[in-house]
Amino acid sequence: MSRLSCRRRPTFPLRDAMLNVESLRIRYGEVEAVRHVDLTVGTGEIVALVGANGAGKSSTLGAVAGLVPAAGGKVLLEGKDITNMPAEAIARRGVALVPEGRRIFASLTVADNLRLGGAVHQTASDAKAREEEMLELFPILRRYHQVRGGNLSGGEQQMLAIARALMARPKLILLDEPSLGLAPQIIDTVFDLIAQLRRNGLTVLLVEQNVALALEIADRATVLANGEVALTGTAAELASSDLVRQAYLGA
Amino acid sequence: MIAQQIINAVSLGGVYALLALGLAIVFSIVGLINFAHGELMTLTGYALLAALIAGVPFPAAVLLAVICAAIAAVAMERIAFRPMRGASVTSLLLTSFAVSGLLKVIFQNGVSARPQAVAIPGWMTGAFSFGDFTIGVGPTISIAVSILALIALEFFLRRTVTGTAMRAAAEDFDVVRLMGIPANRIIATAFLLSGLLAGLAAMLWVASRASVDPLMGFTPVLKAFIAAVVGGLGSLPGAVAGGFLLGVIEVLLQAMLPAALAPYRDAIVLSGVIAVLLIRPQGLIPAVRVQRS
Repeated sequence: MSRLSCRRRPTFPLRDAMLNVESLRIRYGEVEAVRHVDLTVGTGEIVALVGANGAGKSSTLGAVAGLVPAAGGKVLLEGKDITNMPAEAIARRGVALVPEGRRIFASLTVADNLRLGGAVHQTASDAKAREEEMLELFPILRRYHQVRGGNLSGGEQQMLAIARALMARPKLILLDEPSLGLAPQIIDTVFDLIAQLRRNGLTVLLVEQNVALALEIADRATVLANGEVALTGTAAELASSDLVRQAYLGA
Repeated sequence: MIAQQIINAVSLGGVYALLALGLAIVFSIVGLINFAHGELMTLTGYALLAALIAGVPFPAAVLLAVICAAIAAVAMERIAFRPMRGASVTSLLLTSFAVSGLLKVIFQNGVSARPQAVAIPGWMTGAFSFGDFTIGVGPTISIAVSILALIALEFFLRRTVTGTAMRAAAEDFDVVRLMGIPANRIIATAFLLSGLLAGLAAMLWVASRASVDPLMGFTPVLKAFIAAVVGGLGSLPGAVAGGFLLGVIEVLLQAMLPAALAPYRDAIVLSGVIAVLLIRPQGLIPAVRVQRS
């Protein structure tokens, strides 16, 4: 097994890291989906994880969220080891994953979807207050409050999936392909929203196939190829790198 | 006569519906058909018997027995099924057969292979007149209990966070865990509910037969399984619809079939089941399960 990529050591301070992924390895039976991934997300940053299909992006997010077991390496949240903790325990520590394909509860109403998102709140009034904030942020969800999630359009479902994840007041949100299958204007709305969430102090780790879009919004980015880090740097650096331009930006 | 038959049909259907619901709730969450569900019924019967022998008044004995069923169901999950979490469907199925077989042997050797009489209060076996109709007290109670249990379950699933989480988990369990809701709590609650429902069904079953035996749970749970499949495996409204449908068809066939055809009753019922599944392979009211990529 050769490690031929030019893996670079991170060049930014690690002190305030929200998330550190160190030498992560993930295997599904015989298949090694992630061979060696190092990744750091600083508090308040947007970091994009890009790469081709099967590069290991979603698996990496899954391991951070606790849905996919790590075969090796470590995941640290604010310096504390959360490797292979159950997903529900990681969620309670302030990590929210918006999964690929949105995966809202189709047979449940918008209200019930949000209610489950806020299930970690200690009191009903906390949950209610947070729901009110979400309905302010996503007026469309107020309009469709009693509509079943499955009856919403793709863009509305993406809004619901993000709102549901935010219900728990996470510190770190993991977004897996938020633009997938959405119309261009809706994508703009979603990405404006992501920028706004960051301005409010949320830390974002974004997996995105639309590399141009991801580099536009992210502070830093990491390119994965064949389960390894191919390249990492600031978004501007990557946008001007030959590898990224040729492979992903079609320039 | 007809009124009495309708009452009997709905009452039997109610018992099947409660059992089928218990199977469906567990199936919808963990993908397991719990064939030890029948032994929960049997256990409830013996718990009632033991409580009555110990001199506990009848209503308290019933309550105690139903609680026993719920505890036994949760214990079953904790001891037998939790270590098998994530195992294949076949392994889970075999585990449930093993639990079922084990409990049957314990009942046979620990108590007796023969039926034990249960003293049911006289008023429950009586009947009351309603104009021209004479209606049995037992079946009426049975219908009332089934309906109340269905309403209570519906309330729990719609109004509470845990109930909502269970409906969601039936659709996409992993995402429920992403919301910080513990998987163990959801699964334990599913077994608790299935135990409560099995306990109630057992009480209704014992009340109409006034005896308990080690194999008591087998037939009703087999019927409930058929009902759950006809209704749409894993679908709760489907389980209720299937249960009532099966109960009504059985009683009506029993009442209307000429004597020569009576031995073929089960064959006729099962042919009907096959016909339904040929037309609607997903069942009458299919379960919602999101296709995952």
